[in-house]
Amino acid sequence: MALRFVCDGELVALDSVAPGDTVLDFLRARPGRTGTKEGCGEGDCGACTVLVGTPVAGEERLVWRAVNACIQFLPMLHGKAVLTVNGLGDQLTPLQQTMACNGASQCGFCTPGFVMSLHGRAIGAVGADLPVGDVLAGNLCRCTGYGPLLEAGERHPALPHDDRATLDLLRQAATAGPACGHATLPGGSTARWFIPDNADALATLLAQYPGARIVAGATDVGLWVTKKLVDLDTVIFVGDVPELNALAESPDGLTIGGAVRYADAHAALSRLSPELGELVRRIGGLQVRNAGTIGGNIANGSPIGDGPPALIALGATLTLRSARGRRTMPLEDFFLAYGKQDRASDEFVECLFVPRPQGPDIVHMSKLSKRFDSDISAVCGAFWLRVEQGTITAARVAFGGMAATPRRAAQTEAALIGAPFDEATMAAAAAAIRADFAPLSDVRGSAAYRLEAAGNLVWRLWHQAQGQAVRVQEVVHG
Amino acid sequence: MHLPLSEMYNEPDDRNVLDRMRQGVIGQPLDRPEGALKVSGQATYAAEWRIDGCVEGVLVLAEIAQGQVTAIDRDAALARDGVLAVIADPAMTRRSAQGMAAKAPQQDAAKVEYFGQPVALVVARTFEQARDAAVALRVDYADAAEPVPFDPHAPDVKVEAPSSSKPVEGGDLDQAMRDAAFSVDVEYDTPGHASAAMEPHATIAQWQGDSLILHGSYQMLAYNVKEIADCLGISPDKVRIIAPYVGGGFGSKLGITHEAVAAALAARELGRPVRVVMSRQQVFQTVMRRSETRQRVRLAADAGGRLIGLGHEALVSNLPGEKFAEPVTQATEFLYGGENRLLKVEVARISRLTAGSVRAPGEAVGMQVLEAAMDELAEKIGIDPIELRKRNLPATVPVQGTPYSSRMLTQALEQGAQAFGWSARQDRPCQTRDGDWWVGMGVASAARVNMMVPAQARVTLRADGSALVETDQTDIGTGSYAILGQIAGEMLGLPMARVDVKLGDSALPPGAGSGGSFGAISTGSAVLYACEEIRKRLAKILGCAAEELVLKDGTASHGDAAPRPLRDVLGGEDLTTTGKIKPGKTAKAFSQASYGAFFAEVGVHAFTGEVRVRRMTGVFGFGRVLNAKTARSQCLGGMVWGIGSALTEELAFDTRDGHLVNHDLAEYHVPVHADVPAIEVILLEERDAAASPLQAKGVGELGICGAAGAIANAVYNACGVRVRSFPLTLDKIVPSLPDPFAQTL
Repeated sequence: MALRFVCDGELVALDSVAPGDTVLDFLRARPGRTGTKEGCGEGDCGACTVLVGTPVAGEERLVWRAVNACIQFLPMLHGKAVLTVNGLGDQLTPLQQTMACNGASQCGFCTPGFVMSLHGRAIGAVGADLPVGDVLAGNLCRCTGYGPLLEAGERHPALPHDDRATLDLLRQAATAGPACGHATLPGGSTARWFIPDNADALATLLAQYPGARIVAGATDVGLWVTKKLVDLDTVIFVGDVPELNALAESPDGLTIGGAVRYADAHAALSRLSPELGELVRRIGGLQVRNAGTIGGNIANGSPIGDGPPALIALGATLTLRSARGRRTMPLEDFFLAYGKQDRASDEFVECLFVPRPQGPDIVHMSKLSKRFDSDISAVCGAFWLRVEQGTITAARVAFGGMAATPRRAAQTEAALIGAPFDEATMAAAAAAIRADFAPLSDVRGSAAYRLEAAGNLVWRLWHQAQGQAVRVQEVVHG
Repeated sequence: MHLPLSEMYNEPDDRNVLDRMRQGVIGQPLDRPEGALKVSGQATYAAEWRIDGCVEGVLVLAEIAQGQVTAIDRDAALARDGVLAVIADPAMTRRSAQGMAAKAPQQDAAKVEYFGQPVALVVARTFEQARDAAVALRVDYADAAEPVPFDPHAPDVKVEAPSSSKPVEGGDLDQAMRDAAFSVDVEYDTPGHASAAMEPHATIAQWQGDSLILHGSYQMLAYNVKEIADCLGISPDKVRIIAPYVGGGFGSKLGITHEAVAAALAARELGRPVRVVMSRQQVFQTVMRRSETRQRVRLAADAGGRLIGLGHEALVSNLPGEKFAEPVTQATEFLYGGENRLLKVEVARISRLTAGSVRAPGEAVGMQVLEAAMDELAEKIGIDPIELRKRNLPATVPVQGTPYSSRMLTQALEQGAQAFGWSARQDRPCQTRDGDWWVGMGVASAARVNMMVPAQARVTLRADGSALVETDQTDIGTGSYAILGQIAGEMLGLPMARVDVKLGDSALPPGAGSGGSFGAISTGSAVLYACEEIRKRLAKILGCAAEELVLKDGTASHGDAAPRPLRDVLGGEDLTTTGKIKPGKTAKAFSQASYGAFFAEVGVHAFTGEVRVRRMTGVFGFGRVLNAKTARSQCLGGMVWGIGSALTEELAFDTRDGHLVNHDLAEYHVPVHADVPAIEVILLEERDAAASPLQAKGVGELGICGAAGAIANAVYNACGVRVRSFPLTLDKIVPSLPDPFAQTL
């Protein structure tokens, strides 16, 4: 069966699509409609930003998200709509009008990406409630100095929008149910892809194709294709499996399905812990959080992901599922060694449970990076302390960027637990971090810096608890 | 009196012609005319032209740093589906052309000089097929017999005096240092930088008989035509380059680079159009870098804080034999006094991609170091850093004795201090805390040489009373479309809607090209001259002197005569002429530069060493402002480059094998908007007749030249840590931070 989606108001059906074909390459091949640009091919610059609309079951609307077309795979559009700068109509929108005139466009190459990020905000796409700055964090510009771009976004918060025509086209496409497809790769081999429509079907598929690559948001696997030039042969796209998209809040905590995107969980994570919410704000730009999933960020086992240390500190547990059954483990136990996770080839991340911090708990999370947004942490530190009657009765401390995996700091925790919450204890904990880790030196920071700064994050926690900290984010735009 | 319009700019043109016009569009903050095309995705960039039968090429990069390609397994590649050709032609380039080279860069890609150098091109029907075959292509190499070092500071590195510049020597600097009441002798490092223009390089090459048409992304078409022609061994008049929209250049597109020549060769071999688009990683690895620098600055001051000696010596690097050497001391020559001086650049010969022009070559890294050293001197003397600068502005250029054309540095420093609130600065570090952040302020001067280059532009006053400006000048985002139209509109008395501007086609008269901040003043002067000629012809038709002619809103009048529509005056005829200008005696007779001042306030985290720029002010004087909006944009964007240079941007090469570690936008950190605080830009009113008949100077690069120095000085003022190695990353600051628990020191 063909891959079907709506592109700029037209129904598209494609017969031969490989799992690694990118949305951007498809868009740029359309005659005369090359508005969507490739600036980096790896989700860093946002020049290829498009909006992807997903129908909402039982409602006459689409949920729109700004994503980087360069690292979205074409099958991920099945049953959805994509809107590009070329589809905004013959008349300039008020937002475009402002951007054409206020200095927001100079060389013009990043411009369509900024237009689409801001257009998404104007039509109520995911993240539209965020400040303009957060919506543009994933868009780079080398000419303008950014001020006019932010100003244009401030000036145009809302635009009327009607999805009915798009929904009619999608209904014609009749894309409900599972989907699959295949294509011959340039090297001659056949690559296939599957989109299961429920978790049981996913488990069955994985039993059948145990080596299959599971792709949720493609923010990591996308780079394998565009940067490492890897051929994907069998891919199961799990991003739209309904059970994996469940998000359940309770007084005890938050259950996050394995394919819940960072952007969709952001509000719930912020309610769980405002500190975690602030950290998530700096995980990629909005385009990355609109595609990237929390489960994927865990399953790929990166030692420098910002999600895992934070979730480990909060005491998260991970549930894996396969046709054989389920198993649940503390999140930190999932990371065995560099590039090695405790996942059998037929298992997938079903969900994650994050306990809700209680009244006396102190949570602190810090991301140290050279660049404020869209940068990989030199050190990412996360702390959870339970303080009762002035004594630390429990503590969990985890770091990213300090070891081959996201890891807890056992000696630091030992220095904290049972000790009074005071400066002497902080000093002891800061010193203990040196015993916990032997980090690498690389372009993001030297080993010495990492150790020094990781220890000093204890002091940042202390200042925060005393109400003395000033947030890194407090910068003002003109 | 009417001066004859000389092609050579030999005398300052102080008639201020533009100020006597009536239309009132020059200088106005008008919108860029191509803005609507850009925001709607309709502006067509190099890779986007639809050309029938076009096939796709992908460059293959060397996986060794130095040696010789001994074999390429063409047959295996050609056996793959869709693959049409494997090009490994001796004419392929292995280096990029320097700006204004107008001849081929080093060719013969089989000789590998740096890691990642292109060695071949694979062409296939689809991009995916070409990429797949490029990845699989087997290339065999022999290692170089006598490799050069990867590290400019390696003990065995060969260091040479560059052929492109001579040292400036005067008096006895060593003695001045001994005599000085206060002195500074410091060494700073700056890393390599990448232009990182948003549009990766791309070319579509198409042959029509023995003529070549290139749709490309280049800054200086008249030079690029000659470079391509020389590479291919054909006459320049057989080459046409079309580049109406260029997605940023910042130096990286001054000269031609690998994809253009490879595409042309492939298209010739296959007899069909070939497109080659470089990946972001390929652009980083192969096109152009700004050299890293090691700079020693010596400042000797007398008891009154006046410089008696100034030394600025820099070690930069490039490939063996490459003429370009980052002109680090370019502005130091004229900025401050100190007759005893030694200014010198040396170049280390190493194996890294070609070093060349990246936005503001010379001043971008030279000024930030000089200005940081000046801050160190001010502290030693115990005077305000603004006062130190004001005390040291010479009457004429030291050693050379050349007079200054016009210099707005004092005004910029004073007006900036006022606007920024400099008086609130604490003169000692570690005096201001905001929670867990140390807060401080810094200042730096801005200076960038002004240059004019030969330029031509054709202006047609059409019979219907509208005008057309035509030149091969490019608009790389700078605002050429806007300002060239404004000059013509002002001179011919036309509203902007009646002026069309056609750019970016080498078939049009050769403009200056976009580089060295000279595009606007050079090509703009050519437009001005063409318009003056048209005004003369109109005056002749009307029977008046050109000086008496008043053109406004599409009408012509003189004396008491009633205004007549131009359409009537022209009587069905077009008036066309080509204006030409070349640099002349004014270039040597005056020291010409744009000036300004930067002010920065930063926070440094007391525990982690994170640096946040909290606000910046830049004040700039660059002669006449041609368009207040596009000029402001240039300054604003430039200052953000300064933030990058101060805090985040750094090319990291692995000194073991020479490979560029951070060859993408994920790891080469151009600032994101959250790194950019409130920036105030103030443009000063100035006329500089020595610089151009527009009385304008260059502005495209000025916003960087010193900006990072102001930030470094603010970091010191905040926390007392003087980092002499840019960028000022957290790991360099943390080890020297003062007691974080002290609220002040």
